[in-house]
Amino acid sequence: MKKSLLPARLDLAQSITGLVLAVFMAFHLIFDSSILLGAGAFAFVSGALECELFFGEKIPLITTAVVIVIFAIFIAHAGLAMRKFPQNAAQYRTMRSHMKEMRHGDTSLWWLQIWTGFAMFFLASVHLYIMMTQPQTIGPAGSAYRIVFEWKWPLYLVLTIAVVLHAAVGLYRLALKWGWFEGQNPNRRRKTLKKAVWIVTVVYLTMSLAALGAFIHIGLTGQDHFGNAVEGIAR
Amino acid sequence: MKIVYTDVLVIGGGLAGLRTAVGVKQRGFDTIVLSLVPAKRSHSAAAQGGMQASLGNSAMGSGDNEDVHFEDTVKGSDWGADQRVARMFTHVAPKAIRELAGWGVPWNRVKQGEREAVINAERVVITESAAAHGLITARDFGGTKKWRTCYTSDGTGHAMLFALGDQTVANAIPVMERMEAVALIHEGGRCYGAVVRSLVSGELTAFLARATTVATGGYGRIYRVSTNAVICEGTGTAIALETGVAELGNMEAVQFHPTAIVPAGILTTEGCRGDGGILRDVDGHRFMPDYEPEKRELASRDVVSRRMTEHMRKGRGVKSPYGDHLWLDISVLGKEHVHKNLREVTDICRYFLGIDPANDWIPVRPTQHYSMGGIRTDHRGESTTLKGLFACGEAACWDMHGFNRLGGNSVAETVVAGMIVSEFIADYCADSASDINVSTGLVREFVERERAQLDALVAGRGSESATAIRQRMEEIMIDQVGIFRTGNELDRAVTELEDLLRRSRNLAVRYPNPGANPELVAAYRLPKMLKLALCAALGARQRTESRGAHFREDFPQRNDRDWLNRSITTWPAPEASLPKLDYEAIAVTDMELPPGFRGYGTRNHIDHPDSPARHAEIEKILQAVDADDRHARQRALMPFDHLLPEKYRPRNQRLETSA
Amino acid sequence: MSNETASAARTLTLRILRHNPQDPASEPRWARYELEEYEGMTLFIALNEIRERFEPSLQFDFVCRAGICGSCGMVVNGRPGLACRTLTSTLPSEITLAPLPAFKLIGDLSVDTGQWMRGMSERLETWIHEQAETDLHALEERMEPELAEQIYELDRCIECGCCIAACGTARMREDFVGAVGLNKLARFRLDPHNARTDADLYELIGDDDGVFGCMTLLGCHDVCPKELPLQTQIAFLRRKMVTVS
Ligand SMILES: Cc1cc2nc3c(=O)[nH]c(=O)nc-3n(C[C@H](O)[C@H](O)[C@H](O)COP(=O)(O)OP(=O)(O)OC[C@H]3O[C@@H](n4cnc5c(N)ncnc54)[C@H](O)[C@@H]3O)c2cc1C
Ligand code: HEM
Ligand code: HEM
Ligand code: SF4
Ligand code: F3S
Ligand code: FES
Repeated sequence: MKKSLLPARLDLAQSITGLVLAVFMAFHLIFDSSILLGAGAFAFVSGALECELFFGEKIPLITTAVVIVIFAIFIAHAGLAMRKFPQNAAQYRTMRSHMKEMRHGDTSLWWLQIWTGFAMFFLASVHLYIMMTQPQTIGPAGSAYRIVFEWKWPLYLVLTIAVVLHAAVGLYRLALKWGWFEGQNPNRRRKTLKKAVWIVTVVYLTMSLAALGAFIHIGLTGQDHFGNAVEGIAR
Repeated sequence: MKIVYTDVLVIGGGLAGLRTAVGVKQRGFDTIVLSLVPAKRSHSAAAQGGMQASLGNSAMGSGDNEDVHFEDTVKGSDWGADQRVARMFTHVAPKAIRELAGWGVPWNRVKQGEREAVINAERVVITESAAAHGLITARDFGGTKKWRTCYTSDGTGHAMLFALGDQTVANAIPVMERMEAVALIHEGGRCYGAVVRSLVSGELTAFLARATTVATGGYGRIYRVSTNAVICEGTGTAIALETGVAELGNMEAVQFHPTAIVPAGILTTEGCRGDGGILRDVDGHRFMPDYEPEKRELASRDVVSRRMTEHMRKGRGVKSPYGDHLWLDISVLGKEHVHKNLREVTDICRYFLGIDPANDWIPVRPTQHYSMGGIRTDHRGESTTLKGLFACGEAACWDMHGFNRLGGNSVAETVVAGMIVSEFIADYCADSASDINVSTGLVREFVERERAQLDALVAGRGSESATAIRQRMEEIMIDQVGIFRTGNELDRAVTELEDLLRRSRNLAVRYPNPGANPELVAAYRLPKMLKLALCAALGARQRTESRGAHFREDFPQRNDRDWLNRSITTWPAPEASLPKLDYEAIAVTDMELPPGFRGYGTRNHIDHPDSPARHAEIEKILQAVDADDRHARQRALMPFDHLLPEKYRPRNQRLETSA
Repeated sequence: MSNETASAARTLTLRILRHNPQDPASEPRWARYELEEYEGMTLFIALNEIRERFEPSLQFDFVCRAGICGSCGMVVNGRPGLACRTLTSTLPSEITLAPLPAFKLIGDLSVDTGQWMRGMSERLETWIHEQAETDLHALEERMEPELAEQIYELDRCIECGCCIAACGTARMREDFVGAVGLNKLARFRLDPHNARTDADLYELIGDDDGVFGCMTLLGCHDVCPKELPLQTQIAFLRRKMVTVS
């Protein structure tokens, strides 16, 4: 009997969805952090993404459409990746004790991915649902309002940490898994990649958390940290 | 009582055992392999340097052929070898290499063009021909005229054993691991199988077979320091001895390897010297050229080992808490060569000595290494006296090594013998004379005898410590039956070993578990090992000459007149404390290569009275044959083709058609 | 070889996980033994000394005692490795030893890697599937010298089982082939004598018990005592298996 080609496809799909999400997030967090350049910058970016430049006005439906696509990829990725989770309590315990004994870096990183992925499953779903249903609220004021007064900042705090770690580690593992960038000396290259993971993590975390801080600042003071007033966040 | 039937029982899962099993299986016979450990962990895996076969592909091996290999082997053996067997061997060795290549052994290959090598501590440039590009290459080894030792880096035994292990699986041959043969079942001069003990459960099983093959390797562990694996305790040889029927040959012929690290006794391959490494003394002086100006570090092993010991006795050794040693210097080969081509050596130095051999000298001294002696067989691999019992590999005295085997000839022997002997075993099995018609009563008797002995040990009524006796045996062997031997010391050794054997019949086991019990295992193996030690010590005492690895300080000459023979030992009765020693003459009159000077060591031997006559006869025979047809000349001197299984008779093709 | 008195001798404490599954009354337990350390002491020496002096029933496996045969894999302070070539001086004075997990326990530190490897070998058919039977009397088939070296590089696996014990995936999922098997297939794939195609290999390892089950944890790569390039070989096979489909 010929073996099914499905496992190969699924493995590839898992990696591609992960890669797409990671690339998406790399841009997403930069766009999001445009708030650090002031409320105007963020308004411009969010507007641009909704094709204001094209049509002269924002079209929130574009956001809804994009969210649907990302949501689908996200769900697909989560579904594929969940096959790798420990399947039962015995497997979970084995893995735990194995990790504790081995104290092995890459095995622990995988564990980190499992947990951050698990967390995102809930947190990102909420976020995506909101973005899908209320695209028109996106903007310096609407976003800040949501973060401060609708109590989304704890969610974003955790989600930010989770997604940055998960994506950075995910990309590192993706490279090893498929043998990208092996170079002449794969062992040395692996060390370099690992260093890159930590640099990306620190840069992105600093940037995104600062952005979150900027939103909170706007929410609490009604102006961005350059002192520009931001309209429309009265409670 | 559990009984298992098969056609061919193979005791031993090393190279020899596995190749035999594959051979008989391919001829359509059922076979089971028994092994103390998973087959791929057998000691064969440790062979580093390589396997000799006269392919003659590389520039430095050019002109090589069976004749040269034969001559080297016979000279190396100090004329102790059976020359017909040596011929069969050298003829089949190239076939064995090629078979293994087909099974995936990644032999190193010739690369056309110039390359640097180190010969005699000097860099030289060797130019390989384009015609040889991609064929199997070879390196230099001690005691050979041509570079003939084929290799895979320095993991040759490993690569060979894994290829054979894989073939065993491919041929669906069952390998029963952690099973130890503890006695052979025999009656009326015919062997029917073995009593086998599980090392996990302690259970005894009788394996009955048309043919039983012992391929259990050497007995190096009767010595205090040995390069051998810890399982090389010779129990397979011993159970053959204990039949009282099977004969052992040349048990005193024990080889010492010049370069094992101190103190662990782990071998650094002869390839170190083959590739150009040199030996130095306490002053850093390269001393081998002083003793052996021509062959230097690459004289045959027995010679180098003796010279090293001699030099240390002169006070030129390096003092250490573990005794004197000398230095092996391979740093002269350059970092790249050492780290790439001598990788296992690099690892061993790194892990066991904490040094990098590309920079530092390696502390070495001669250490027990190889057992030339073993179960005496005819050229078919069958015991000369016990029908249905076959032996091959290091456990056998098939006898192509005589009193000293050449480096690289041993793994070659294992597979070549496996190829040849398995054909004869298959022939034997095909004959109805091999039908098993043995009574269960006999089988029960053998099983019960073993059980009773084990029970007695576990019951713990004895008072002697196996560890203490064993340690003493090991010391006696290394101190008194070692590289240099004298009559007085050997006398003492025999007497004391006899006493130890008696004491070993009264052993105490502290931990009374009949199942997995390392202490019990050590206890029941001890008397077997002592018997082998006695065979070696007694053989050495009686042999008042020096030949190959056997060196008597009180009789330093090789004496062909009185001692051109094989020592044959048997164990007369279970309660005996000494073996019975006989001699089997080696006839000069039909030798292809009558005794002469080996080409190294000292030229002083006592001639055999028949030698001159045979030399003259050879001269005459050769005059009548076409001088250019080496095959015809060989056939005229000593035909051997007819002794080989038919499928191995065709000639070996070589690059140079003239060769 | 420095002088023995040069360094102050340590007292080693060895904690060994003991259990004899042959004996129904036996429960896994930690046993402690104390030894004086001396220069050049390896775990091989230490364990033999414990057996000789205190504990005749202690089970463990050594064959070559030279890091060549792969018999003595065990978990040393949490990490799988070869005991025979581990110098005690490279370890802290408290040493824990446990049998390799993922294999059937025979007793104390001894596990059945042999049968496991045989099973793997049968499952993956880890032998050359020859294109044609070798003519033993003719010149051998040629092979590029670099290729031969490349094959040997992967052939160096000693089937010690450390990579299996160090692999979280193999620990969680018993049927996962593990690095040792994948490396072997990569090795045979290189061999020009070999007749199997990638499509044939897909039949063996094209699923989540095979190469797609590997989660790139790289414990295998990091503990392999022969320093085999397991990371790159598994990645390589994964690429090949995906392109086959
Ligand atoms: C360190 C070292 C390096 C070497 N290097 C080279 C080299 O480069 N070239 C060369 O030609 N030679 C070399 N040799 C010699 C060569 O390796 C051996 O002579 C050869 O491998 C022996 O193979 P074998 O099959 O006869 O026995 P082994 O490989 O020793 O196998 C013996 C088998 O018998 C089994 N066994 C033993 N007793 C029993 C029993 N009672 N019941 C059941 N099973 C049993 C064992 O489990 C094992 O499977 C080297 C030897 C050493 C020590
Ligand atoms: C197309 C889909 C998406 C859109 C349109 C989108 C949009 C936004 C917007 C507008 C914000 C600003 C805060 C707000 O308005 O609430 C934001 C923040 C954030 N988003 Fe998304 N998002 C998308 C997908 C995702 C996904 C898939 C993730 C992660 C799994 C994610 C993680 C985050 C995080 C962590 C923040 C907070 C960043 C910070 O700390 O500053 N987003 N997103
Ligand atoms: C519900 C949310 C998510 C879950 C449950 C999840 C889970 C996982 C898991 C378990 C893995 C490891 C798979 C393996 O070991 O083979 C993984 C890999 C990966 N994830 Fe996620 N993930 C989620 C969301 C994301 C997001 C939002 C991104 C991008 C930012 C992402 C990027 C990646 C990448 C790049 C990989 C590596 C791909 C691979 O190994 O094939 N994941 N994910
Ligand atoms: S791949 Fe390495 S760790 Fe795994 S069995 Fe082979 S040698 Fe051991
Ligand atoms: S540890 Fe296991 S998951 Fe893969 S990379 Fe090695 S086989
Ligand atoms: S005993 Fe052979 S590798 Fe350790």
